[in-house]
Amino acid sequence: MSTTTTTTPRKRGVVERLSKSWLYIGLIGIGLVSFVRIVTDTDDLTAAGTIRAAIIATCPILAAALGGLWAERAGVVNIGLEGQMILGTWGAAFFTYHYGPWVGIAGAALLGLVGGLLHAVATVTFGVDHIVSGVAINLIGAGTATYLAEAIFPEYEGGGPRQLNGLEAPTQITIPGVSDLANTIADKHWFFVSDIASFIQALTTNISTLSLLVFALVVVSAVVLWRTSFGLRLRSCGENPQAAETLGVNVYFYKYVAVLISGALAGIGGGFLALVASSGFSTGQTGGRGYIGLAAMIFGNWRPGGLLAGALTFGYTDSLRLRDTQSVHSLLLLVALGLLAFAALRAYRRQVRGAVAVTIAGLAVLAWFLSTDSVPREFTVMTPYVTTLFVLALGAQRLRMPAADGETYRKGSAG
Amino acid sequence: MPSAVDAVQLRGIGKRFPGVIANQDVDVTIRSGTVHALIGENGAGKSTLMKILYGVQRPDDGTITIEGKGVVLKSPTEAIEAGVGMVFQHFMLADNLTVLENMVLGAEKLHGIGDGARTEIRRISDRFGFDLDPDVLVEKLGVAARQRLEIAKVLYRGARIIILDEPTAVLVPQEVEALFVNLRELTAAGNSVLFISHKLDEVLDIADDITVMRRGTTVGTADPRTATKHELAELMVGSELPSPETAESTVTETVELSLQDITLTDEFGRDLLSGLSLNIRRGEVLGIAGVEGNGQSELVETIMGMRIPTSGRIMLGDQDVTHWHTRQLREAGIGYVPEDRHRHGLLLEAPLWENRILGHQTKAPSVKGPWINRKGARQDTERIVRDYDVRAPGIDTPVRALSGGNQQKLIVGREMSGDPVLLIASHPTRGVDVGAQAAIWGHIKHARRAGLAVLLVSADLDELIGLSDTIQVILRGRFVGTFDPAQVTPQDLGAAMTGGEAA
Repeated sequence: MSTTTTTTPRKRGVVERLSKSWLYIGLIGIGLVSFVRIVTDTDDLTAAGTIRAAIIATCPILAAALGGLWAERAGVVNIGLEGQMILGTWGAAFFTYHYGPWVGIAGAALLGLVGGLLHAVATVTFGVDHIVSGVAINLIGAGTATYLAEAIFPEYEGGGPRQLNGLEAPTQITIPGVSDLANTIADKHWFFVSDIASFIQALTTNISTLSLLVFALVVVSAVVLWRTSFGLRLRSCGENPQAAETLGVNVYFYKYVAVLISGALAGIGGGFLALVASSGFSTGQTGGRGYIGLAAMIFGNWRPGGLLAGALTFGYTDSLRLRDTQSVHSLLLLVALGLLAFAALRAYRRQVRGAVAVTIAGLAVLAWFLSTDSVPREFTVMTPYVTTLFVLALGAQRLRMPAADGETYRKGSAG
Repeated sequence: MPSAVDAVQLRGIGKRFPGVIANQDVDVTIRSGTVHALIGENGAGKSTLMKILYGVQRPDDGTITIEGKGVVLKSPTEAIEAGVGMVFQHFMLADNLTVLENMVLGAEKLHGIGDGARTEIRRISDRFGFDLDPDVLVEKLGVAARQRLEIAKVLYRGARIIILDEPTAVLVPQEVEALFVNLRELTAAGNSVLFISHKLDEVLDIADDITVMRRGTTVGTADPRTATKHELAELMVGSELPSPETAESTVTETVELSLQDITLTDEFGRDLLSGLSLNIRRGEVLGIAGVEGNGQSELVETIMGMRIPTSGRIMLGDQDVTHWHTRQLREAGIGYVPEDRHRHGLLLEAPLWENRILGHQTKAPSVKGPWINRKGARQDTERIVRDYDVRAPGIDTPVRALSGGNQQKLIVGREMSGDPVLLIASHPTRGVDVGAQAAIWGHIKHARRAGLAVLLVSADLDELIGLSDTIQVILRGRFVGTFDPAQVTPQDLGAAMTGGEAA
């Protein structure tokens, strides 16, 4: 006799399936944006320039989020991402100045990795609280980068105590035929088709190889973490390290590897800021992107696809505010529609209370949009943060973090 | 088939921790193809010995011989290579991973992590009747299925010697029967099983040989065909087994606690408790039996005001307390022994006397006006330590330093102070040794005679049958049967608990 219950796969409705697939969500999202673009007559919303800016704004956050993913999947909370990113900006500047951009990227990763090593030594070997160690690394990272910049960069050409300009950027790629064709279609401003076209245009025109590398790292991380035995072992350390130990997994080793990779990825994110997002290093240029990356990862439910969506949301809204305030005003309509769509999904799932709350929020934003012509300048600066927070709050309904995330693990504690 | 070479020989094993001798001069011989039972009280050193045999900890002295070869086991990996596998009492499974992922973890080289592994899992599952689906998340599995997964995990790694640490603690009688069928198939196939338990009936039922441990050392062996429970008990504790049985009924007519049609719904609209009604009278012990996770915790938390029922009414005496807060309820005289003393009952790092104040922080002698009454609290803690036989170096000792039994006695003593009218005891003797168990049973019986109403939730069916005046069986949040403990057997209860007929 047994108490196991056999679960029969429940037939899911169309709405259920649509809401579960990132591809469909993406398409619906583009459709919404396209609709808003036409209604509000704000072509900037999906102009290739906007999307290019969005990609550039996304990449550093994405790299940091990936870093968070690696560490937390192995059970180590890494809020030191910010500090590791800052170290990465300095590393990128220093090594690019001497050896060119690709060694610069390696240098950024190396400096981030040093930050990761500090975190690993503190949390894994000495069992320091992960948050305490992470905060310490953020302070150390900022302090170290500032000190090293002041000590070294004033001597360099284009350098000063707080910046180093004129760094060589990694190669940019343009695919000639596709780029022009996409440009032509995008200029027609057709519904949906042109939006897709500007997307393609942005991806094929002067795109930095480093951007492509960061996006590729998402795929690589997903495959390594979920399709290899190395990844299984690493994830098991975040779910139940005692169990992993009893099966002969060297938990400390995997935690170290994960935190080192985490630091290196954050460092690459920092390097991107110094080499691609701007033309040089300046102190404090991370501007809290490490934390945003961490938030994007949490909103993404500790999954690569999810953190990609989170980073893109932030990157896109961030790029809009840089274009003009009109776009941000149109964004209000987009947010309102998004909220209402989400409310409809809630209602469909019979989550009445949630549906009502989201509907009210959606209507409030809609009313704001209809009753104003522009958004105060001060507000545009905080748009990306507010939007990401919104998405986070709405999306963060059934988050499932790794079971042993943030817990200190001691060898021999099994059984 | 027992072969000439013994599966495992442990000789003179010793292990010391700072301040504690966990094992000393331990000798155990496991014959090949047999079930060897290792019995002893909690704290007798069984678990330490197991960890040594499985390479989690290294012995300070002694030798380990596996299938005729002397070995030094430095890690579980080496134990697995030597053919030893272990199923821990607390399952070593990651809930958020699938059966397959849990199975192949650490042994990815054997059959890969894809279809090869899937096939092998199905083969093991079919061969021993484990009924495991490789692609289900472990969190969806019941306790018995998790245990079968743990055993399958060990077999997947090619273990021939399987250690089971208190495998029946979490199972109902029917599941225990099923487990024993599995174990017999395992030994018939030439494997050896080391079965750790302190449930003597089960040991006599399944074991081919028995070794008894007491205070860290092996004190004797017994033959299950001739040994009696009584003899084993004497070997284990050096005295007679305590019995939970109560004397004649002390049930009065006054209803102390009354639940009327209590329903509790969670945020997803699922019923955790549906339409529960019960009455507990003064001097009555009402037992709640059920497989864990069928609403016992929710029921207790609802009565304690930690959850507010979606509908229904709770009466304490003649007051409606449905919407009262936990503190109001405690002040009204409800004592509460929580199911997990580490999470709910105690502050482990705080001294005994501070723990005495917990939950009584509004009542004398813990407070005087707005201030904590250190002197009063300390004096009263001394009283509890004395009256309830809490063995501790002093009342300034942190509670963590106490054994489970003494921690539990401290909780029982605390909850009994301040003249409660109702005691809610959730698994009061879980994880405590036989001596403390007897003492706690004694206190519950004494309270019952004094006219206290008691709600007793337990997984120990003998305890329920022995102490209760009435037993209610809970299944998926509903009461599915009322039993008279004078007439019911553990098998009947087990059948009702799983919603089926007796196996």
